[in-house]
Amino acid sequence: MNAHAIIFYLISAFLLGTGILSVTTKKIFRSAIWLLFSLVGIASLYFWMEVEFVAAVQIIVYVGGIVILIIFSIFLTQQSGKEMPGPGLLRTVFSLLAVLFGAGFCCMLINEYGFTQLPGNQFSVAVADIGTQMLSTAEHGFVLPFEVVSMLLLGAMIGCIVIAMKSKEAKNKGVLENEQEAVGTVISSQQNNTL
Amino acid sequence: MFLKDYITDVYKAVRSLLTGMKKTGYYFVHPSEIITQQYPENRHDLNLPERFRGEVVMSHDENNEHACTGCTACELACPNGTIKIITKFDITPEGKKKKAIDTFIYHLELCTMCNLCVQACPTDAIKMSQKFEHSVYDRSRLTKKLNQPGSKIREGVE
Amino acid sequence: MFSLAHITQIIHDWLYSSFDPTLALIIECAIVILVAIGIFAVLGLVLVLMERKVAAHIQIRLGPNRVGPGGMFQTVADTLKLIMKEGLTPDLADKFLFNLAPFLVMIVAMLLLAPIAFAKGVQIWDINIGVLYISAVSSLSVIGILMAGWASNNKYSLLGAMRSGAQIVSYELSAGFSILTIVVLTGSLRLSDIIASQENGWWIFKGHIPVIIAFILFIIAATAETNRAPFDLAEAESELTAGFHTEYSGMRFALFFLAEYINIFIVCAIGATLFLGGWMPLHIGGWEGFNHLMDYIPSSFWFIGKTFFLIFLIMWFRWTFPRLRVDQLLNLEWKYLLPISLINLLLVTVIAIMGWYF
Repeated sequence: MNAHAIIFYLISAFLLGTGILSVTTKKIFRSAIWLLFSLVGIASLYFWMEVEFVAAVQIIVYVGGIVILIIFSIFLTQQSGKEMPGPGLLRTVFSLLAVLFGAGFCCMLINEYGFTQLPGNQFSVAVADIGTQMLSTAEHGFVLPFEVVSMLLLGAMIGCIVIAMKSKEAKNKGVLENEQEAVGTVISSQQNNTL
Repeated sequence: MFLKDYITDVYKAVRSLLTGMKKTGYYFVHPSEIITQQYPENRHDLNLPERFRGEVVMSHDENNEHACTGCTACELACPNGTIKIITKFDITPEGKKKKAIDTFIYHLELCTMCNLCVQACPTDAIKMSQKFEHSVYDRSRLTKKLNQPGSKIREGVE
Repeated sequence: MFSLAHITQIIHDWLYSSFDPTLALIIECAIVILVAIGIFAVLGLVLVLMERKVAAHIQIRLGPNRVGPGGMFQTVADTLKLIMKEGLTPDLADKFLFNLAPFLVMIVAMLLLAPIAFAKGVQIWDINIGVLYISAVSSLSVIGILMAGWASNNKYSLLGAMRSGAQIVSYELSAGFSILTIVVLTGSLRLSDIIASQENGWWIFKGHIPVIIAFILFIIAATAETNRAPFDLAEAESELTAGFHTEYSGMRFALFFLAEYINIFIVCAIGATLFLGGWMPLHIGGWEGFNHLMDYIPSSFWFIGKTFFLIFLIMWFRWTFPRLRVDQLLNLEWKYLLPISLINLLLVTVIAIMGWYF
């Protein structure tokens, strides 16, 4: 076992440990933090494999984006600081069964196919190559999925704007209310002054 | 139209920020503008601004005479009871009684240096001095008697 | 001629000739860690003193002037004081996360130090996605702030953390776009390539107005991302006492404070690398004699000079501009900086394709 392997086992242990902690802890914010560490662990595994681009994207998308959104929604939830009740017996049993099934499935796959050493370093891919492949129309090019995903994102963005936008009626109403409030405050301050 | 407003907004914002930075940048490169005084070192050549007020004093001339008639205008003007005037009655040579001050008590520890007493004084008997090193070990020493012992009112001040 | 690369090469050769490769690698790692910690400590002391002096001179004051000649050792004395102070933990705080947060912020700052080129050939890790790595890892620092704000069990801390989170997440966009303009012009994410591409002039001179606009946008976004005034509403003293680090004291507070200044240094170093050529001396394409003369100034001096110029600029902002309100902050980002940087990126792409830069 050389240093390379030792680092792999350390990262894996960190990853698994934080993953288990994130599903077993009873405080929801801690759970989010453990999830974050677990995702950072995956990114460090990518760094270990020397696929830096994927690692950086993993950090940007999952850690910098999704976990922060999760944390924000936790902050905006009432009573999120309280300790959660433990899961019921039924839920524990089923989650254990799910874990066992997953582990068994993985074991079966590994038994059947095993690990084969691929010749050469498959991962030494330049960032420019990734970009070219992404927009390539040739065989194994990703331009169609890329464009479809961008349409999906555009749809999501328009949906957000529509949800956040006030309808014209509500807007006018809001303005009126504000004006009335403003007039009210002016009157009351004048009354205060005369008093 | 919208675009024009937008660009004007950006232009105005950048210009106002640059104006502010020009001012602060001017101060940064001009150390001569610094107004900090290195107090204990420059104690002997302090450069206090004219409007600085340290404490109330009563001015006496070389004959140990002051201009206070004991009218208590300053006592009435003081917002927090800093000044207390004890009057007495002098007998003038003509045999008449005349009001004069006995003691002008000034509580420095209560004074806020608001200058109202100086403005209220009809005879300019009191003024603000620039002495500011007032720390003492005993609170009672801050209660001062402003008229000097044996002093009397200057001739001709009514 | 004085050169840091030469010194590191000598140490490297000596280590590999005297020890076996694994041990030599471990020793090199240890040396790098020690040097990084040393840089941290020195930067913290120097930058805090510089901030106080700059603030004082801008406000027509003298600033610290009692400890040491001209107040030079003021920050050393402050550090000693902070080390000796008791580190309090609030009663109902989430103790584990409360204690973890300052270290997380610090670790992120240390990770960011790795790809920065301090001088010619002096770089801890010349990673092939340098710029992307920096923008990825710098997004982690907000986690530490959110963690500190939550774990303190204090309303001010929580509000400060929320503001800080919203601010960093939104300003990352325009910072990313302004970094992208340089990546588009250079065609590489590796920092050493970006520096090498500025051999015949820095990008801010070569790239015309679009790069200058990108530089201004980058400086604004960098100021916002480091939570400094005029964008310091995460720790707005008059509203939130101290924001996310209200409950911290002693050395843990010092770590937050230090990380803030290290982040400023890193952001300015990135700005200097992308727009002002990093350690590359002032070269003008075609003027051979002038370029040769400029090469006599060591590259590390160039890097430090440029970085400190940008740091001074950010300090100048801090002591000039009033703090923004939350709605003004988000207006500025989403209505002004983001559209401008998108259009600017388009312009730069056209320039890069047509080859209109020098």
